[in-house]
Amino acid sequence: MLRVGIVGAGFMGAYHTAGWSKTPVELVGFHSLNQGQIDQLIAQYGGRTFATLDALLDAVDVVDICTPTHLHYEMVLQAAAKGKHIVCEKPLARTAEQGEALVAACRQAGVTLLVAHVVRFFPEYAQAKAIVERGEIGRVGVVRLKRVSFQPKRPEDNWFLDVAKSGGMILDLMIHDLDYARWVAGEVESVFAKSVRSARPGAPGDYALAILRHRDGALSHVEGGWAYPPPMFRTSLEIAGDGGLIEHPAGSSTALSVHLMAREEGGAPDIAVPRSPLLEDPYVVEIKHFYEVLAHGVTPRVSAEDGLAALKLALAAIESTQTGQPVSL
Amino acid sequence: MRCAIMSFAHVHAEGYLHNLRANPAVEFIGFADEDADRGRHFAGQTGARWFPTYGALIAEKPDGVIICSENAHHRALAEMAAAAGIHVLSEKPLATTPEDAQAMVQACERAGVTLMTAFPMRFSAPTIEAKKVLDSGALGTVYGCNTTNQGQLPRLHSAYPRDWFTDPTLAGGGAATDHTVHVADLLRWYFQSEVTEVYAELNHIFYQEPGVNVETGGLVMLTFANGAFASIDCSWSRPPHYPTWGGLTMELVGEGGLVIVDPFRQVMSIYAQGAARPAWSYWGSNANQAMVDEFVAAVQEQRAPAVTGHDGLKAVEIVAAVYRSAAAHQPVTLPLS
Repeated sequence: MLRVGIVGAGFMGAYHTAGWSKTPVELVGFHSLNQGQIDQLIAQYGGRTFATLDALLDAVDVVDICTPTHLHYEMVLQAAAKGKHIVCEKPLARTAEQGEALVAACRQAGVTLLVAHVVRFFPEYAQAKAIVERGEIGRVGVVRLKRVSFQPKRPEDNWFLDVAKSGGMILDLMIHDLDYARWVAGEVESVFAKSVRSARPGAPGDYALAILRHRDGALSHVEGGWAYPPPMFRTSLEIAGDGGLIEHPAGSSTALSVHLMAREEGGAPDIAVPRSPLLEDPYVVEIKHFYEVLAHGVTPRVSAEDGLAALKLALAAIESTQTGQPVSL
Repeated sequence: MRCAIMSFAHVHAEGYLHNLRANPAVEFIGFADEDADRGRHFAGQTGARWFPTYGALIAEKPDGVIICSENAHHRALAEMAAAAGIHVLSEKPLATTPEDAQAMVQACERAGVTLMTAFPMRFSAPTIEAKKVLDSGALGTVYGCNTTNQGQLPRLHSAYPRDWFTDPTLAGGGAATDHTVHVADLLRWYFQSEVTEVYAELNHIFYQEPGVNVETGGLVMLTFANGAFASIDCSWSRPPHYPTWGGLTMELVGEGGLVIVDPFRQVMSIYAQGAARPAWSYWGSNANQAMVDEFVAAVQEQRAPAVTGHDGLKAVEIVAAVYRSAAAHQPVTLPLS
């Protein structure tokens, strides 16, 4: 039985653990700086605490890294050096050089590196991709993607807002749709982007728009932001081809709305995740797929190289916002 | 006020004819079209008097005209009208080059006649309410705007053949010419600020068919002097079987939150037996009527119209920058050198 350990027991660690619990693996345990969060996960899913990453790596076949972005590099290297297969939250790393090094290290070590670009596992996004693949809308001309929420909060160490750690909104959030645009419309030749971070450095929110030119002529428009009033989170998807159109506007698929007489202000969650009632959560679909890749050699829906390409795309978008020039890839 | 229409080349001509007839202050005297087949066709369809030459119409001394010719001919017709002391409402884009637009503005100024650009979105109830929200300061500093003005191939909107929309010489260009100016004008109006930089990427993947020799897809990024940036998707990316002609949307994100403007969303879906496809039936207010009414009122009250020739010129400059940027794949600064 495949033995899996989780590093980082926060927000994403909890989602991934829930996913692994639906697969036939042995959930060996957790390594995290936050014992309280580990205790909660152990109470629900079992496993034990590992005081060090090394100790956890010695006890598993697969390590799932759900730590803040800036920690990915060292942890993936350490896991690869021990010959462990790796699932890593997106973005793969904080810099392109780190990303290159990780892909190379995993290849050399002969371990599988899976980057958790979960949007590819959201049913509407997966289905739209399949419709394009089947040729139902012809050749893709313009792709439009939106993902805007509120500023992430955290009770302590809000690393999301620390550009040195997270890379900022574009690397943390917009990367989802940059990856999806590339998945649907192919390799990207150039990126031009504008961001409030560059236009108004003191602004409290973050918001960016990017225009991508793909190698085969398609264009993509990607919008990302931490700028909405909480708890608002909107995503949308549109793919126009020369033979048809896929439209999925924000808010158009609200399958359940609950409106209760006000009791007290519930407030917004710390971090926004798009949700629609589904019998199987997209994070579970993702982890089940990763299990199939690791246990049965299924071809991964998102490769290490895809994770690296998405990282480079996001970094190019950031560079464009800073230089004011389009960035070639 | 005696009004007429110069040319029925544009798909909006029938609508404006109706708007002129619906204005109680207007005596609609007819339209001129030097394309005899088109002239006879629309005379028969509308019951309006048809003048086979522009000279014949000018000789009737109308007070005001709406120019609905091919874009490249706006300048000549505006100059002809101005020389005869006739007030002008020109279809957008005002011209196919900044030079022509500038000449129109100057000709009308010199003649002392009104020049208004047909930007009906300034008269749309939802866009006006959005302007009030922005002016109230509720949104605070605007960070950026994600906007679209997407459509079908324009010739699909006309039962009568109007293929010039995809002829680069007569139209000046394709989707970018047709669908950049409305949003650009709205944002200039909202911000009271000019565009300082334009970046654009254009392609021709939609509607690759005979006679379509222009870009049909495009993404534009504008930067304004006030620091806000705005993207415009000007693509003709709506397929022929789409339930409506297209639309215009603006999402403005700022310090204070989000404002979504979707003026063509006031529709209901109609699933009629016998119809080939579902259709969206628009029930919102008629912005075109309000625009024509403003032209008439401005002339009668001898004041500047709410949208001027200068506004039309600024939009044409932005379109020129779009093509320059797309050719070089580089941002272009305004004013153009």
